[in-house]
Amino acid sequence: MALRGVWQLKKLIVSYCDWGGSSRGIRAFMESELPTFKEKNPQLEVVPELIRGQHPHLKGFYKNKNERVVCVKNMTPEDILLYATRLRNALGRKVVKLKTRHVTKHPSVQGTWTTDVKF
Amino acid sequence: MAHRRCLLSLARHATAIISQKKMPPLSAVEVLTRKPNPAITIPNSELSWFSFWSHSRHFSSSKSEDSETEVEVEMEEASDVEAENDNAASDLGRDYSPEEKEAEAVAIGYKIGSHQFKVSNGDSIFTERLKFCEVNDKLILNKVLLLGSPTQTIIGRPILPDAAVHAVVEEHALDAKVIIFKKKRRKNYRRTKGHRQELTKLRITDIQGIEKQEIKTDGKPLKAAVKNPEKIAAAV
Repeated sequence: MALRGVWQLKKLIVSYCDWGGSSRGIRAFMESELPTFKEKNPQLEVVPELIRGQHPHLKGFYKNKNERVVCVKNMTPEDILLYATRLRNALGRKVVKLKTRHVTKHPSVQGTWTTDVKF
Repeated sequence: MAHRRCLLSLARHATAIISQKKMPPLSAVEVLTRKPNPAITIPNSELSWFSFWSHSRHFSSSKSEDSETEVEVEMEEASDVEAENDNAASDLGRDYSPEEKEAEAVAIGYKIGSHQFKVSNGDSIFTERLKFCEVNDKLILNKVLLLGSPTQTIIGRPILPDAAVHAVVEEHALDAKVIIFKKKRRKNYRRTKGHRQELTKLRITDIQGIEKQEIKTDGKPLKAAVKNPEKIAAAV
């Protein structure tokens, strides 16, 4: 997730509940793997947030003002790390089916062929 | 018909430098196609000059080893962010840039999606997920099939040994979900499966192996009709 060298994920909100059982994984994640994740990504602002009585989720805020929410209820800490890494790796663009796999501004270097071109 | 096309393309281009096997230099030898056949003699006086070089053939297995070591050596971390920004700034100013077809075979031993792309400087490519690289890594792709620029075309058989394409990994993301639905009618059989493909977006930063020209125009790229008079004038 780096458009021309600039990281796109600005902020990651880790919401969890300290009572609920679905938050067990994310509480373990916050103790075991969150500090290393924070050190690996110093440009990223990671904010833990407490929401009581609700399922835990990860919220990612991107530079194009896009928000991506991933519910991590009943997940193991390794899975949560995988999802957090995915959020960090992605651009904030909308997830739609790709039109083409090759995006270019210069489709032709030697000139596009038309019927008028004479060699 | 392929031969006729080759003749026409020869008449059109000023030069055509083609890599070939080791052969003793003959008077007028031009190898045009990608077939492993020997050269076709073209008695074409419109050619201003020609040149050729010989090199040893690289087998694909050793090539992948080379590319593996190159990739591992060349991968650099996020300290290249400033370098990337400079590259990006200079790329936008280029109107004409060398294109090339590349076989995406950087990864260790296997082809990435076994797809070929025709890229120029500054465009983006979506490939299958590359497992060994992080975001903001630089990659060097060296299975290059063809290099082209406004005045020159270099054709590899099947790859060019000294050409390289520099790319930067921009993102690893998941594609949109496709639903795979299977049904057999009247047999009570229905299955639904969701699938999201992992993709990597690469941005091409640099193409090496061909001389580049920067022609500053008024901003609009020239169309073919305008370019051809330039080229014919250069050839003659």
